[in-house]
Amino acid sequence: MIRHLFKLIWNKKKAHILLIVEIWASFMVLFGLATLLVVNVGNYREPLGFSYENVWAISLSNNQDTTEVAQKLQQIVQRLKAYSEVESVSRMGGNFPFSATQMNEGIGYNKQHILADHYVTDEDFAKTLAIAVVSGKWYQSADSVGKYRPIVINQKAREDLFGGQNALGKVISDKYKVVGTIANFKAKGEFMANKPAYFELVGANDAWNSTMLIKVKPGTDAVFEAKVVKDVARMVKGWSVEVDYLTDSRKTQHNLVLVPIIIAAIISGFLLINVALGLFGVLNLSIARRRGEIGLRRALGATGNGISRQFIGEIWVLATFGLLIGLLFAAQFPLLNVFNMEAGVYVTAIVVSVLVIYGIVTLCALFPSRQAAYIQPAVALHEE
Amino acid sequence: MITLTNIEKVYRTSSIETLALNNINLNIRKGEFVSIMGPSGCGKSTLLNIMGLLDEPSQGTVELDGQRVASYRDKELAHLRNQKIGFIFQSFHLINDLSVVDNVEIPLLYRSTNGKPRQTYAKEALEKVGLSNRIKHFPKQLSGGQKQRVAIARAIVGNPEIILADEPTGNLDSAMGNEIMNILQGLNSEGATIVMVTHDESMAKRTHRLIRLFDGTQVQ
Repeated sequence: MIRHLFKLIWNKKKAHILLIVEIWASFMVLFGLATLLVVNVGNYREPLGFSYENVWAISLSNNQDTTEVAQKLQQIVQRLKAYSEVESVSRMGGNFPFSATQMNEGIGYNKQHILADHYVTDEDFAKTLAIAVVSGKWYQSADSVGKYRPIVINQKAREDLFGGQNALGKVISDKYKVVGTIANFKAKGEFMANKPAYFELVGANDAWNSTMLIKVKPGTDAVFEAKVVKDVARMVKGWSVEVDYLTDSRKTQHNLVLVPIIIAAIISGFLLINVALGLFGVLNLSIARRRGEIGLRRALGATGNGISRQFIGEIWVLATFGLLIGLLFAAQFPLLNVFNMEAGVYVTAIVVSVLVIYGIVTLCALFPSRQAAYIQPAVALHEE
Repeated sequence: MITLTNIEKVYRTSSIETLALNNINLNIRKGEFVSIMGPSGCGKSTLLNIMGLLDEPSQGTVELDGQRVASYRDKELAHLRNQKIGFIFQSFHLINDLSVVDNVEIPLLYRSTNGKPRQTYAKEALEKVGLSNRIKHFPKQLSGGQKQRVAIARAIVGNPEIILADEPTGNLDSAMGNEIMNILQGLNSEGATIVMVTHDESMAKRTHRLIRLFDGTQVQ
């Protein structure tokens, strides 16, 4: 029967060409959307690598004040640590977790070069964000005395630079020495790809990295926030102080990813609904035109359910033609490594899109094909 | 082979009730070639549809090989139509998008016959009706007579015991009509039971028995 259906559709290919194009276009739109979803779901399932609950980022800007900035920053750290509401304080650059700022740098080991996110932080960073050290240790101030600057790298950087080898003690780019490794660090949130990253110890005289991450005790509220801002402002006159809750910044980052996906999904949804309505109409018309054939097939031994299956089968065959053309295009993405994504992402997106297309065409065909099943053969033959 | 007892068929709409068949009693024996005649609208095709299990009588019983079919479900009726009955229609009812051989194969599709034997049987049936040189043609490329011969090949491809022909020569000129009639007589001489609706007295005379209907009632 499958061969029969293929013949039937193939012999009517000119009449079906627009439907095939419509199914192909729907597949391509779905493939794009599914790829986006698969990538983001895959990213979401990867652990974030740190804890952001009850962590605030206090961004300081010295503005016109250029005198003893480093010392003033040290004093602020000490002041923040003195609050009973604060569990831990860490200093870092403006690219704190969930911020809009990003900093990366090319690093290399032997002939292996990668582009990695670069974070300048102090020895309390891992404690403040509850980052687990996988091997080695998180650097201390004392580690800065050697020839090489101590760094901690994440798992992805370790894999990309050293493969399966141990990274501890290795010198990177002739200036950094790996003292520890951590698992993931996805600073832009759960939807961020797990990228290579390294953490460098902030220098004692550093005047640039002026964001304080503070982990406060649960239940600490805006009253404390106001107090901190007031105290810091009193300590460093003319500086601006801005407080971000990492939980809020995380939501903002998520929205940056989710809003375009939701818009794309809504547009795709409308397109697919249009295609579905079109298919539904075409099938209804086709069944009305083919009442004689339905009557004939019933006379020759088809059951009502058999007629219903035939029409669903025909739309599956049509969808298969459209999908085969679509697969020719979609297969180029993993083959040509487009957007540098894993082939598995594209393969999953293809499978999802194919299933959705078959699902949609089946839904569109269900009602008209059931109607076809109820056509009385004697009446249909007489009409012809 | 086919026994109809007290068959009545009434078509009802919200405002009109039409009696299409009234108290028809018929017994078609195995190997018979029976023709049904009567004016247009007298119920000939309705009677043929009831014999072919395409329609149900409003009253009365239909027996096929001694089995009452009233209680049969759709699947069983479809199976009987496929195995025992071959249909030939005045307007041929060929599927224009399928080649001649693919049209003839259709009844075998519903028997789940495999592709190769299906094609072999279809070619054999087309050979019987003298159309083996047209198997790749499409219905639109054939004359009326050739189309009807394809329809006959389709009716006989599954070796049914009964052939029901609804005005098989109605759309053909007399020469073509005679040709079709010769084929039907040949099939009958090979053992097929044939019931044919016709308007043509000369065709009816070539059958074993003539049944006349008038206003849904059997008059002969």
